[in-house]
Amino acid sequence: MGVYPPCCLPGRPCVALLLMRAEELKGHLDSLLLATLESGPRHGYAIIEELRRATGGRLDLPTGTIYPALHRLEQARLITGSWSVAAGRRRRIYQLTPAGAKALTGKRADWREFAAVITAALEARPWPHPA
Amino acid sequence: MAASGLIAGHVAALAARLPARIVEELADGLDEANRCYLDRGFGEEAAAQAAIAEFGDPQLIAASFTAAGPARRAARRLLVAGPGAGLCWGAALVATRAWTWPVPDAARGAFGAALVLAVALLACAAFGQSYRAVSHAAIAGCVCIAVLDTVMIGISASLALTPRWPVVLAVVASTLRITYGIRSVARVCAG
Repeated sequence: MGVYPPCCLPGRPCVALLLMRAEELKGHLDSLLLATLESGPRHGYAIIEELRRATGGRLDLPTGTIYPALHRLEQARLITGSWSVAAGRRRRIYQLTPAGAKALTGKRADWREFAAVITAALEARPWPHPA
Repeated sequence: MAASGLIAGHVAALAARLPARIVEELADGLDEANRCYLDRGFGEEAAAQAAIAEFGDPQLIAASFTAAGPARRAARRLLVAGPGAGLCWGAALVATRAWTWPVPDAARGAFGAALVLAVALLACAAFGQSYRAVSHAAIAGCVCIAVLDTVMIGISASLALTPRWPVVLAVVASTLRITYGIRSVARVCAG
């Protein structure tokens, strides 16, 4: 049987672990959001659904915290937001800007390089000792 | 509680903490989440509860918007830039022998008090938790700094200070800060 942190009970989500994952993701959230907009404009919840679909449901951040990240990206001019009307109600649609597309390309290249370095280090085998 | 009441209650909790424009967007997302759960076969109340749980605590959402907002960023940048601008003016004041300027002591005291107030307002905006309080403090702090910079530039011009390099540098620093402050106020008011 595994050893659980004090905040966790077997079979229930651990708050500390969820927070840690959210914290780990923080640095990559911008890239993930930009990537979801690469295929075209989407509204906030559609971005969240796409993020979930693209990660097979393994990324499950509190939905409410995605919206502030979208606003931050909009202030950084990496995406633009505009209001449209859908089913009789106003809806904010986000779209990647040329600067956002360029940033995404750069972040992708950085990630590939980072992942390659870490993978190489983790999978390195020790030299065999002489018999 | 009825499903619509649960959603409305959550939206009301958000509206108490965030501006209407943001709440409108969040309410649309919450409705969309609710509809997704209904499509998956959840009952009305279960769907509303699931959508609310998925969105997270209104306090956490408001804190995230506060942290990502233009008010906090502007306040932090002005606080970081403050010592630099202060050094420029310090050098200019020493170079032009500011203690000999024909400025009444009361005016000097009022300037100092306004400077302390501006720093306090920017500190509130930089570290506060409430979205509205942070926005108001940032606007007031930016305006205060812009007024103080304008006063210093005005005094330099009215006393026709010899344009020694420290004075020129200080005036340039203040002009940049005024421009940034005005643009930040516009961004905070817009968002």
